[in-house]
Amino acid sequence: MLTSLFLYISYIRLANSLDFVFFLCSMKNPAVVGVLCTDQQGHNLGCRGSLSDEHGGVVSVLAKQAAALTRDLTDTPTVCLESESGNILVRSHGTITIAVHKITS
Amino acid sequence: MSTAALTAGLDRIPDQLGYLVISEDGVLASAGELENDEHTASVIMQMVRTANRFRLSGSADHFRSPGSEDVPFKRMSVVLEDFVLAVTVSGQKVFVVKRQHAHPEHVTA
Repeated sequence: MLTSLFLYISYIRLANSLDFVFFLCSMKNPAVVGVLCTDQQGHNLGCRGSLSDEHGGVVSVLAKQAAALTRDLTDTPTVCLESESGNILVRSHGTITIAVHKITS
Repeated sequence: MSTAALTAGLDRIPDQLGYLVISEDGVLASAGELENDEHTASVIMQMVRTANRFRLSGSADHFRSPGSEDVPFKRMSVVLEDFVLAVTVSGQKVFVVKRQHAHPEHVTA
């Protein structure tokens, strides 16, 4: 019961943090139009803007696959998908994977 | 297409440390630090297949520039501490170039 409550509160905290993070990113750089956080299984922990639930799986798998490109466990890769509609930046921080969508100006 | 035709120009990319040319059948050409690097080739192919599944949904359509093709990416870059792997797909082949990472600080798009 206590564990569930803790997890619930943590999730809410993260959701509010994500609003703040998205707001901050957009204010600092208006080109940021989407943010997404997933866990290691690709489950959506929170998303805003152009990135949504449907991108969670791809984002987490991409980050995991990129990690296999280096033997250095301290060297976390950043994956950047570049297209005409903008760039998607993906990076893992511990058990959380973050994706940011920036449009090209 | 001959190997020379495939790799023509790859040697001249500035700061390049090595390259791979990969097809569904395997590695067609490799050189430098990526020579015979089957592991990197395999991982990159997996990443290309994964990235090809990435689609921005209808609500984001207005972010697309007019006339842009519905392709998930033109180039995929994997940025590590000391180097960058730049990946692009052309003619059913995957081209990977390993380049020196000039700015090891934050990645900006």
